[in-house]
Amino acid sequence: MSDTLPIEVALQAAEARLRSILQTVPDAMIIIDERGRIESLSTTAERLFGYSMGEVAGKNIKMFMPTPHREQHDGYLKRYLQTGERHIIGIGRIVTGQRKDGTTFPMHLTIGELRSADKHYFTGFIRDLTDQQLTESRLKELQSEVTHMSRFTALGEMASTLAHEINQPLTAINNYLRGCNRLLERIDDPAAPMLRDAIGKAADQALRAGDIIRRLREFVARGDSERRIESLPKLIEDASTLALIGAKENGIAVAFRLDPAVDLVIADRIQIQQVLVNLIRNAVEVMAEVNGVRELDIETRAVSDETVQVSVADTGGGLSPEVARHLFQPFVTTKQKGMGLGLSICRTIVEAHGGKIWVDARPQGGTIFRFTLRAADHHEEETLVG
Amino acid sequence: MGQLSRAVAIVDDDAAVRHALKFALESEGLNVRVHGRAPALLDDPELYRYGCLVIDYRMPDVDGLELVDALRRRGVSAPIIMITGRANAGMRERAGRAGIDTILEKPLSDSALSTAIHSALAAPPAAP
Repeated sequence: MSDTLPIEVALQAAEARLRSILQTVPDAMIIIDERGRIESLSTTAERLFGYSMGEVAGKNIKMFMPTPHREQHDGYLKRYLQTGERHIIGIGRIVTGQRKDGTTFPMHLTIGELRSADKHYFTGFIRDLTDQQLTESRLKELQSEVTHMSRFTALGEMASTLAHEINQPLTAINNYLRGCNRLLERIDDPAAPMLRDAIGKAADQALRAGDIIRRLREFVARGDSERRIESLPKLIEDASTLALIGAKENGIAVAFRLDPAVDLVIADRIQIQQVLVNLIRNAVEVMAEVNGVRELDIETRAVSDETVQVSVADTGGGLSPEVARHLFQPFVTTKQKGMGLGLSICRTIVEAHGGKIWVDARPQGGTIFRFTLRAADHHEEETLVG
Repeated sequence: MGQLSRAVAIVDDDAAVRHALKFALESEGLNVRVHGRAPALLDDPELYRYGCLVIDYRMPDVDGLELVDALRRRGVSAPIIMITGRANAGMRERAGRAGIDTILEKPLSDSALSTAIHSALAAPPAAP
C-alpha cells in the first residue's frame, strides 16, 4: 500500500512536465476537454485573460470569447466531434478574445487536437495581436493623412505654379503698357490722350487677370499650416516607416544617423512627413534602377542653435547638373510616370516653414537631398504649447 | 559716378519681365541695367555703384535671398527690393532676417515698383 505503483510515478512525472510547460510557454495556452471544459491554463493565458486557473478550472471555455461565439461555441465543438469537419483546428485564425473585465482584444488562435484513450482534448495556442494591430492601424491612419494631404497640396501647387507662370507675362504686359503710356505723355498729338486712355485700360485688364489668378490660388491653397513643436526623430520614424514599405524586398539597406542634439523643431507634422516620404520614396525608386550597392542614409544634424538640417542620401544613378538645376521647378520630372510636382511641393512646404531645400551630388555616387527646419527652443515651447 | 548712384540693376530670369521693367522704368528717366542670372550681377563691374537693386526671388541657380546674402557678404549696401510671383510667410520671414523690407508681388500693380525704387534712391546710403 505504501509503495507507489510505477505507473503512478510515471503519471506524476508527466503531470509535472505539463505544469512546467504551462508555466513557461511564452504563448498563452489553454487545454479543454471535448465538452469545452477548461483543463489547464498556462501562466501567460492567466495573465492575458485575467483569470487564475483556480477560478476557471472545469468551466466552459466560451467565457473567454465575446458574443456571438460565446453562445455558439458548444455547437462548434459538437459539430466537429460529429462530422470531423475542421474549421479552425490545425488552420489558425485571427479571432477576438474577451478578458475577465469584459474588454476584448485581437488574437491569433491555433488549435491542436489530442486523443488519449477514450478522451478527447483540444489545445489552444494564443498570441495577443493588440500591439501589432495598433501599429498597423496607426500606419494606415498616417498613410491616409499623408495621401490626402498630398493630393490636396498637388492641387494647390498646380494653382500656385499656374499663378506664378501667368504672372510673368502679365508683369511684362503691364510694364510695357505703363512705359508706352509714359512715352505718350511727351507726344503732342490729338490722338495721344485717347491712346493713353486705351493703354491705361489695357494695363488694368492685365492686372485684372492677375487678380483672378490670385483668387484661384487662394481658393485652392491649403489653409495656414499648423506649425507646432514636433519631435523630429519621431517625424522621421513615422515617415520612413510609411515610405519604406517594400524597401527591404528591394535589397535596400537603411541607416539612420540622428544627431542626439536634434530633437524638437517647429513644423506642420503632416507637411514635413509629406516632404520626408517624398524624398525617401524618390531615393528608393532611383535605387531600384541600379545594380550594386543600395544604401539609404537618413541623417539629422544641428547646423546652429536655430537650424537643423535633415538629409536623405541615396546610392542611385545621380543627377546631371542640368536636371539638378531645374529639379525643384514644377513639372520637371525624370520619371516615366508622375507630374514632376513632388519636389516642387517639397520646396513649397520647406520654404513656407522658413527653411531651404537643395540637392548635392554624393561624392561616391548618388544624390543627397537636404533641407533645413527651425529648431524649437524652450522659450517657444512655452509660448506655443502653453 | 554721381549719375550711377541713381542707376538701378534688375535681376530676373524671365527675359520678357526684365525687358518690360527696363522699358517702363527708363520711360520715367531711370537708368536701368538688367541681368538674367545671379552670377551676372555679381560679376557686374558697376556692382558697387547702383543706387538700388531689384531682385526676383525665384531663379533657377540660387534663390533671390541667397543672392542677397552673397551681395551683403561682398559689402554691397544698396537698398534691395525683392519681387516675386508668390510671397509666403516663410519667405517673408527669411527676407526680414536678411534685412529686406520691400517685397512686391507680381504682376507689380500700377506704380508700386517705381514708387519703391524712388524712395530707395532718395534714402541716405546705408552705413557700410
